[in-house]
Amino acid sequence: MSYVFYPGCSLDGTAKDFYSSTSAVAAKVGLEMPEMEGWICCGSTAAHNSDPLLADALPAFNLQKAAGKTVAVACASCYSRLKMANHHIASDPVVRQRVAAATGAHYDGATPVLHLLEILGRQMEADVEAAVVRPLSGLKVACYYGCLLSRPPEVTQFDDAEDPTLMDRLLETAGATVVDWPHKTECCGASFSITDPEIILDLSDRILEMARLAGADCIATACPLCELNLDMRQKDIAAKRGHRYDLPVFYFTQLLGIAMGAAPKDLSLGSLFVDPHPLLRSKGLDPDKQPRVAEVTR
Amino acid sequence: MTPVTETLPATGAAAAQAGGAAPQSAAVTVEIFEVGGGLAAEVRAASGASPMACYQCTKCSSGCPVAARADLMPHELVRLVQTGQRGSALGNRFIWECTSCHTCVTRCPQQVDIPAMNDALREIGRREGVAAKGTAVPVFNEIFLETVRKRGRIHEISLMASFKLRTRRLLDDMDKAPAMFSKGKLPLLGERVGEKAKREQIFRKAVAAAAAQAGDAKGTSGQQGGSR
Repeated sequence: MSYVFYPGCSLDGTAKDFYSSTSAVAAKVGLEMPEMEGWICCGSTAAHNSDPLLADALPAFNLQKAAGKTVAVACASCYSRLKMANHHIASDPVVRQRVAAATGAHYDGATPVLHLLEILGRQMEADVEAAVVRPLSGLKVACYYGCLLSRPPEVTQFDDAEDPTLMDRLLETAGATVVDWPHKTECCGASFSITDPEIILDLSDRILEMARLAGADCIATACPLCELNLDMRQKDIAAKRGHRYDLPVFYFTQLLGIAMGAAPKDLSLGSLFVDPHPLLRSKGLDPDKQPRVAEVTR
Repeated sequence: MTPVTETLPATGAAAAQAGGAAPQSAAVTVEIFEVGGGLAAEVRAASGASPMACYQCTKCSSGCPVAARADLMPHELVRLVQTGQRGSALGNRFIWECTSCHTCVTRCPQQVDIPAMNDALREIGRREGVAAKGTAVPVFNEIFLETVRKRGRIHEISLMASFKLRTRRLLDDMDKAPAMFSKGKLPLLGERVGEKAKREQIFRKAVAAAAAQAGDAKGTSGQQGGSR
């Protein structure tokens, strides 16, 4: 399958560590996905909150640029908006006609869209396994999927809507121990980070608490908003709710990158708010130290 | 009103009523009239969601992450829409606290698309100027979309600065900025992309379509809506 990468706005800014670790992992497994030329914002929550045509036309404008390739996405919000637009456009001729009038080009809603978890976990499992040089032995990870990858299932067709396991299986392949926990798909509060942070504190607090109760050392995420809310807001949750977690929150690509021996500068672990280095060092996984020869030749 | 015709497989009772001799494949045709006018019809026309299908099982409210903090629970909002209580359905805080997490619609036995319904209620409420006081979401959305129209992509610093100026929340979360800068998460200059004329066209068409939809809703209130 031939891919074109749609990074989305977050990966240019607050989630640039997601972009660099994604690129590092892609290089290790031989996944070629050049960035889409001239992509624009998918419209995100603001568009579907405000205007149904805009919510379908902005993604369609981007999907038209894929030219027969599969669009690979890292951001769960972009993924959701691109898939939702495809669903509306493919199933409703009136929407299709309005979108064509708005974007100035006919689009049938058929461009395939896949999340990195689907590409790595379903199509490149053997390549991922072969690229692991430093198993994440002893690291207990709570895999957090958030809302938009698995819901609504008729639209995203990602995995089981209530208990997805794609990320769990990938991180197990990388040698980690994944914990069984019930908050995999609970909402973190998403874009309320700017408009009403109290919502984030309530919802992210519950997720962090459940991850800790399940015995996790850290959380793995696949969405820029989930990562930022669970990571950056821990300080506020400690100050305002009195709950202190100090749980490192990674992008799953950062953990895969460590297991694949990616360069520390590409993993960008210094950009996380809760410093993950003490945890990684305690498990013998310091990314700044080269893995031992025995690990490399495994 | 056009009825929806559904052919249901015969049950034991229906087969018996049909004389007992009817083969197992005998079917009963039921004509279902889709009821609901006013606000429910407007919501359906604007979003494709069908609030009239709800029978108040409250499964949505059990899984809703914000039900506990909001002024309404999702099943209560659906009931307000069903009964056309416009003021409460458009002026509540819940529609602005919904995170669009899609837990409700994923679990709904009747596939009532509450996130889509909420999008429609937000849009109608904003248009009619009856949106709940105290929510900053409409202002944020407006600034966000204006940024997309002008630049093509979101530049987070400009977005946050405009939002803070408009809402006068200048000091909120200012403790985050230095760390964000030092971690390289807030580049000072955002990317700008070409094809501005095309973007302008998309936004113009969207405004025109919304105006047409608003006109339609006024003209045909009480009838079933058509497509999204």
